[in-house]
Parts: sequence; structure tokens; C-alpha cells
Amino acid sequence: MALDSRQKAALFAAAAAVRLLLFQAFPLLPDRLAGRVELSTPVSSFKRLQEGLYLYTHNVSPYDGGVYHHPPLLLPLFSLLPDASHHPFATNLLFTAIDLLSAHALARIADSGHAAATRLFQSPRQGLRWSTAAIAAGFLFNPFTLATCMARSTTTLTNLFILTAMAKACQGASATFLLAISAASYLAMHPILLFPPLLVLLYHTRNEKLQAAPNAWAFTAVHTLGLVLLCGTLLLVSAILAGSWDFLEATYGVRLLLPDLTPNVGLWWYFFTEMFDSFRDFFLGVFWLHVASYTPGLTIRLRTQPLFVATTLTGIFAIFTPYPSVADAALYLALVPLFRHLFPLMRYTFVASAAVLYASFLGPAFYHLWVYAGSGNANFFYAITLVWSLGLSILVGDSLFAALRDELDVQRPELRDKEVKRI
Amino acid sequence: MALLATLLALRKDARILKIPPFLSAFLIIVGVAWLLVLPLNEYSRSTYVSENALLPGQVHTYFTGSEHNVFRAYRHEVAGLVDLPVQQRTDKLSELLRASNLKVATQKYTYTPSGRNISDENVYAILQGPRADATEAIVLMASLKTMDGEHNYSGVALVLALARYFKRWSLWSKDIIFLVSGDSTSGPQAWVDAYHDAHDPSTIESLSIKSGALQGAVGVEYPAGPWGHRYDKLHIVYDGTNGQLPNLDLFNTAVNIASGQMGIGCTLQRMWHHRNSYQERLQTMLRGMLSQGLGHATGPHSAFIPYHVDAITLVTVGDGWHDEMGLGRTVESLFRSLNNLLEHLHQSFFFYLLLEAKRFVSIGTYLPSAMLIAANFSIMAIALWVQSGRPQEPIPNTAATKPAPKSITKDAAKDPDEKGKEQEQEAVEKPLEPPPVVVTKDGATAIIPAALLQVSERPLFLPAAFVVIAHFLGLIPLAAFNHIPVANLHPSFLLAANLTTLLPLATAYLLSRFNRPTPQESTLIHCFSLLFLGMYLSALATLNFSQSLIVGLLTAPLSFVRRSSGSRLAAKLQFALLAAINPVMVVYGATYVGKVELLHVLVKAAEGWHVWGMWTQVVVWLVWWPAWFSGSVVVALGLF
Repeated sequence: MALDSRQKAALFAAAAAVRLLLFQAFPLLPDRLAGRVELSTPVSSFKRLQEGLYLYTHNVSPYDGGVYHHPPLLLPLFSLLPDASHHPFATNLLFTAIDLLSAHALARIADSGHAAATRLFQSPRQGLRWSTAAIAAGFLFNPFTLATCMARSTTTLTNLFILTAMAKACQGASATFLLAISAASYLAMHPILLFPPLLVLLYHTRNEKLQAAPNAWAFTAVHTLGLVLLCGTLLLVSAILAGSWDFLEATYGVRLLLPDLTPNVGLWWYFFTEMFDSFRDFFLGVFWLHVASYTPGLTIRLRTQPLFVATTLTGIFAIFTPYPSVADAALYLALVPLFRHLFPLMRYTFVASAAVLYASFLGPAFYHLWVYAGSGNANFFYAITLVWSLGLSILVGDSLFAALRDELDVQRPELRDKEVKRI
Repeated sequence: MALLATLLALRKDARILKIPPFLSAFLIIVGVAWLLVLPLNEYSRSTYVSENALLPGQVHTYFTGSEHNVFRAYRHEVAGLVDLPVQQRTDKLSELLRASNLKVATQKYTYTPSGRNISDENVYAILQGPRADATEAIVLMASLKTMDGEHNYSGVALVLALARYFKRWSLWSKDIIFLVSGDSTSGPQAWVDAYHDAHDPSTIESLSIKSGALQGAVGVEYPAGPWGHRYDKLHIVYDGTNGQLPNLDLFNTAVNIASGQMGIGCTLQRMWHHRNSYQERLQTMLRGMLSQGLGHATGPHSAFIPYHVDAITLVTVGDGWHDEMGLGRTVESLFRSLNNLLEHLHQSFFFYLLLEAKRFVSIGTYLPSAMLIAANFSIMAIALWVQSGRPQEPIPNTAATKPAPKSITKDAAKDPDEKGKEQEQEAVEKPLEPPPVVVTKDGATAIIPAALLQVSERPLFLPAAFVVIAHFLGLIPLAAFNHIPVANLHPSFLLAANLTTLLPLATAYLLSRFNRPTPQESTLIHCFSLLFLGMYLSALATLNFSQSLIVGLLTAPLSFVRRSSGSRLAAKLQFALLAAINPVMVVYGATYVGKVELLHVLVKAAEGWHVWGMWTQVVVWLVWWPAWFSGSVVVALGLF
């Protein structure tokens, strides 16, 4: 069911046309969306990027203002483009291209078929899948993806590198995989947690490709070393560019320590506004430990389905990282359709999708009541972010259940279609 | 676990699909009935002032005696200047305010909604509170024309008199701004926009002097001429643009002072004679909801509320024995209360329905009614979704209940062995019945046709694309009615009325000619449009409860119409019903029933869009109209 080139050209042309048309027809929309807290967080906002860019082009350290929290390498890239506030076309084109490349990577992942069948695991339902075109279209025309693209959030770039890393791992291309995963980690830090499951995936695909098992320890050591070297190089280049190592505190420090409590769709900001300062460090540690703990647990338990682990982790990131936005959810929702074979086993898809849909309408309404109308308060918006996170976590939990059930059907064929009970 | 399993098993039950229409109808009935019980004592509450800094009516008021003569003098001055050209009028008003030792400034503004020219000039003066640090201010305003278009002689005179009077007090801990605006809605809007730097400087002048954050605003309308007029009651107007309301504490304070301290009766929503019976309470509530649902600016206070400045307007009504000094003392006492505020009004309710001056329903009590009506659409959407996944062909009877084939009954005389063989042959030749499936659950075994357990693939592209396009189509009339000049508004409306009625028919005809949608596809179109409608309305209910409820009730029939497969008559009847409740026809009918001129509504709607920042049109054209259009196309498909 691979995507033939005509179909692909038509799909990509339509997606690009929709984006450029929206950019052209509603010139005020991108700025309006860039100001929405649901789409732009302190670490991904395009407005902050513009601020950093202004300082950078005027030979002031972009981190001096305390507003810019993006990594330094984005600055030379965006300074090549004409000023987005006067001539936005080039920037719009860049963000459209990013989305198309992401869709291309997603199509590669879908084509590889690793979602349902890997070397060690063949799902009994692997015949059940959506066509690559449908999956790519589901990503390109998802309103969340469109809104993220229009808001020109830099998370789209992170998403591109995550999807590319997955695609390269599915193809067994070591070098490009390492490049993509280190770029994603460099941009957003938390994607480094995707390295273990994707390394397992890469190991399986290399194994299939070479028809012989490479030494697992050597394989891990070489790739980890490669990752360290590449990340180190990126950081070093950044330090040379920024002139000092101060950028570490302004970029990764902000992600780790959460000094900016601007509301977002995640769960951290409200919790930390309420927190007594003496407990802050402790809970920062707990929260981060919680996010990080999913990687080893899931990778070990579902080692035969590493792509599913990586997908679930993107869902976890969309809920539990300090500065999540709708863009992170868009990435997760793009990857979920790869696992069509699990859908018959999922039990709460309707509840989850209804929660997500209602939250995406009520969220802006409650934010309006809180910030503009003044007739609501922060609890209104926080309640809706809870519903949003609930919807996503139901989806994550339900798909995990389905994956385990699917595995059980292989291990214990006699239990197929029987009701299972948790003991 | 067992309960969960039973519930999950229930999903497969065919009977479950029969419930939703009844459940939907039930929700609508409960929603309406809920509304009807609200005026009862058990479901409403007496108002109370919850911000204890306000202390309404606790101060002695001194606006009496010789101030009366000052007021009368001002009234004659105002009577002399209302008919002057704008420039001279402004100069005269500025002079009067300056004579009271206040800082005076003016502001010119021009709006051009639908080709009309609304231009005038505001005059305002700032009293710097002797104990204030210019961080907070309260506004007292009167427009030269009232909401009904009369000259506001005594209202403006009262503002001038109070400005002179307030200036002599040393107790103000907030700045007081006195605003005399050109007209009752655009003038205050221009002023408050400019105060918050949210104006277009090319048509609206920026303010030359400003004070601190606005804490409250009170408008006065008293259209008595130079020789005075004694009034009966105070009519308190409180609806803001887009149905936003001021904090209930401000309203309560005003009622408390007027009726408690001054003995002036208060009334609201044009209920001049309120005897506090059930019918009158209900009528007050419904009028309030209608006004909130329309989302229009009702007076000078409306412009302030979107900026989170609580504001009301006091209007004198009727013939009675209260004089201008009573109104003046009410305003004085109200300002003394506002002067006490330590922080923005926040204690009391922002969402409420008022039944009379001293009784209200809070949001927790009334919100369920709109939510139930919004939920009815979601339930029908779910039901249609499930229905669209069921097999489209009717499932023949299963083996157990099927009458025996005729050929066998005829040859009943044949011996059993031969019969058995024949039956076997037939079964091989005619696999008419769906293959049965044996289901065993909890020790019981059942044979179910396989088709019942299957979920058929849903073609999503056409329905999704159709619903999205329908929503985008709404942009055309939205843009058109906001920009067409006055002269062409009425003809365009008639054109829109005709087009809106014919468009579903034409669309259905074209669809059935070129790409005949299957019943499944039309079910999905219906499902998506109801899903969106339900979601929009429940989100809207939190912003503007009444608007959500009104639109919900007017679109309620969309839940129950279906694409009829057999009878043409049913399709025609359904289409006629839908044609009657189409948004354009409803607007037309409403103007007829309400005895308002249609053109006036259209002009005010365009003015609302350009001047007041009103969103009602967006709801009509991008929520209501697409839902109606999708539903009508589904019904019209049954005609072709």
C-alpha cells in the first residue's frame, strides 16, 4: 500500500495549497494564533523567536532579554529569511515545507510496516491497516497540525526531526537516525528519551538488513557514543555562535527548572504557581523523574514493539512535559493511526476523542473568560487542560492496553476474543 | 468488571439505537422545563451584596438644598446647547466643566458602518481624587441622546451638577471621570476604546488626558426637559455587548441604595409594573435572556463591560413623585460606595439571570438547561455515527424464525430422507441468509447473524468535506451583510432569504446528479454537522448562555429530521419545516413579531460588528446557518 508518486504529489500539493491559502487569505491569523497559549509556549513561541532574532541581528546576545528560550542554532537559520513581520512569505513557505517533510517521514514509517510487524513480533491483526496516503493526509489536514503550522511554533521543527528519526530507524539508516535524534534532542531536550526505544528498533532493522545479528553491546556503545558526539558538536557550535555557554541556562535550564509559568495546556504551570518555594526543587525532581521513568519501563516491557513504545512516549510528552502545546498532541495523533490493528482492541476511543474535541472548543472559551472577560479565573482554564490531558491519557492508556492484549493473543492463542481480567 | 462487561455488551444491542431520538427529545423538554421552574422561590435566590467594602447606603448624602438651584441652572444651559452645532456645543460643555475646576478634554470620532456616517464629539473631565494616586478611576456619564433617541437634558445637567458638587469633597480616593458623550452607544464605545488604546487613530481621536484603571461606570438617562419632570421608578439597564454582564454587586448596590436609602422603586428589562408574580418573573427573565442573546449594546454602559469595567445605566421612567435630587443623591451614594472599593469587583456573580430587582438565578442553577439542549445534538451525533456503521441492507431473518421454503411445504408427502437431502441442496444453492455466528457468554449460547456484529467501513471524505465547506460558505453572507451600504441592505436580505431556501435544494440536486451520496454518507453529513453544533453550543453556553439556548432551541428540529428513503411526502414536509426555521426566515419573523423594522435590525447589526465588536452575526452565519444548511441538504436528498 505504498504511496505512489502521483497520489503523493497530489496530497502534498493540496496540503501546501491549503496552508499557503490560509496564510494569504487571513494575514492577521498567524500572529493571532502565535499569541495563543495553547499553541505557543515560552520555549516554542514564534514571537519570542522574532525577539531573539532582532537582538541577534543587532549584535546583542539574544539571551540577555530573558525572553528568548530557543536554542541558538535557530538564529542563523531564521536570520537568512526576510523579516517575518513585513515579508512573511518566506517564513510561511519554510513552515509549510517543514510540515510536508514531516508528512514524508511519516509516510516512510507507514510504508515500512514496522508498526504491526517487527522481527520479533507479528501482530495477529497486521492485515488491518490504513493506507499510507490516509495516514499522511490525517497528519497534514489535522486541524491541530494546521493551527501549529499557522502559529509557526518551533515545535513543528522538533516534530520533523522526531518523525525523521523514527523513519530512519525503520529503514535501518544509522547515521541519519543519529543526526535526526540528536537534532531533535538539541531542539527540545526531552526527545532524547526516545533514543532507547528507537535504538532497539534500529537494532531490529539492521538485523533484518544484514541477515545477521550485530553484537548488541557494541551496537549500543557505538550509537550512544555517536549520539553524545553529535549532541556535543551541536552544543559546541552553539556555544561558539552564542559566544558563551550562557545559553544552556536560558534554553535547557528553562525547560528543566520551569521559571516561566505562562499558562499552557500541560499540567505543570498551575501546580507550580500554587507551590511553596521550599518544595519547588523536590517536586521539579519528582515531575521530571515521572516523565523520564516511562522510557525504561515501556522499552523493557514492549521491547518487541519499539515503534509503539516511541509513539506512546510522544503521547506521554504531550501530557507530562513542562511546556507541552497542541503541537505535541498533533505529533502523537499523527502516529496513532499507524496502529490501526490495535483499534478493534481499544475500548474508550469515543470517550477519548470526545474529551479532546470538547476540550479544544472549551479551552479557548474558558481562557477568554479568564483573561479577557474577567468573569472567570485560572481554575476555568486549568480545568479544561485537565480534561485535555485526561483525553490524551485515556488514549495512551487504552492503546497500551490494546498493545498488551495484542501481544497476549500471540502468546496465548487460546485466550483470543476472551475477556481478560487484571490480576 | 462484570458491570462494565454488561455495559459494553449493551453497545451491541439493536434496541439501544432506538433510544437516542427519545432521549434527545427528553433532554430538550427537560431543558425547557428547567427554564420554566427557575422563577420559583425554590430555584432562585434573593440578591445580596457580597463585597463588604461597598457598604451600600451607609453614608449620609448631601446633594440637596441649594444644589437644586445649581442643577436647574445647568438644565437650562443644557437645553440651550443641545441643538447647537457640534463644535459650539463642545466648547460650551467644556467651559461649563472647566468652570468647576476640572481638567477637560474632548474626543472626536467617526464611524462608517454600512456606508452611514456616525460622527460626534465626546467631552470629558477628570476630577483628581484628593486622596487618590491616579491609579484607579470611576466614570459618571450621560449621553446627549438617550437610548430611545430623546434629548437627555436632565441627565447631562445632573452630570454637570454632580461634577461641581463632587469637586468640593475631599474624600475621593479614586479619580472620577465625567463623560458627556455624543450618542448613547458609539460615543462611549469610542471613548472607552481610546482609553484602552484599542482604537483606530485614523478615525477616532486619541485621548489627551487619562487617569488610572477604570473600576466602574454609571450612566444616567433622565430625558426631562428644562422645566423638569417627576418620575416614578428607576430602570436599571445592565446588559453588555455580547451578553456579558457587570458584576452583580454593582447592580445590587444600585438597587439597595435606590430602594432602601432613597425609596425609589427599581425595575429592569422594561417591566414597568412588576408585581412579583410567577408570570412577571418569567417574563423578566425571558426578556433578559432575549436581550443577552441578541448581544447588542443596550446603552452607554455596554461598551465598558467587555473591558472588564462593571457598568450600569440608570434610566428614569414613568410619572411619579421622585425628583432629580433623589436621582442625584442615589448617584452620590453609589459613588461613595464605589469609592470604598479596595479591589476590582470580583466577589459576586458575573453570570446570572435577574427575575426582579431583588431576585436572581445563579449560573449553577440555570446553566444545565442550555447544556442539556446542546447535549441533545451530541447524543444524536453519536447515534447517527453508530447507525452509519451498521450494515445498510436490512438483515433477513435468522434461521430460527424463517418460514420454511415453499418447495418443501408443497412436497410434504415425501419421505423424510429425501426431504433432508433437498434441504441440504437448497442450503448449498442459495446462501441467502447471512452466515450466523455462535456467541457464548456466561454459559448462554446465541446464534446471531454475522452482519449484526460487523461494523461497515465509513466513507468519511465526502461528509467531512461537505460540512467543512458548509461552514466556510457562511463567511460569504457574514462579510456581505457587514459591508453592504444601507440602501442595498433590504434587497440583499430578500435575496439572501430566497437563496438560503433554494440552496439546499440545488445542492441536493447537484449532489444526486453527479455523485449520488449513499444513505450512509448523508447520515454522516448529518452526524458531523450535529456534532459540531453540539460542541459550539456547549462552548457558547459558557460565554453567552442565552444565545446558546436560543440557537439551540431554534435548531432543535435538526436532531429529528432524516433523509426519508421511501415517502416523498415525508421529505417534503420535513423540508417545509426546515425552510420555516431557516435563520434568515427566523430573523424576518422575529422582526415582524417584535414590530421592529427589518432595516433597523440590519443596520444595527452592521453597526454592532464595526463599532461595538458584537459577535452575534458570527454565531448566526458560522454556527447556526451551516448546521441548518447541512440538515436541509440531508432532507432534500430524499427528494431526488
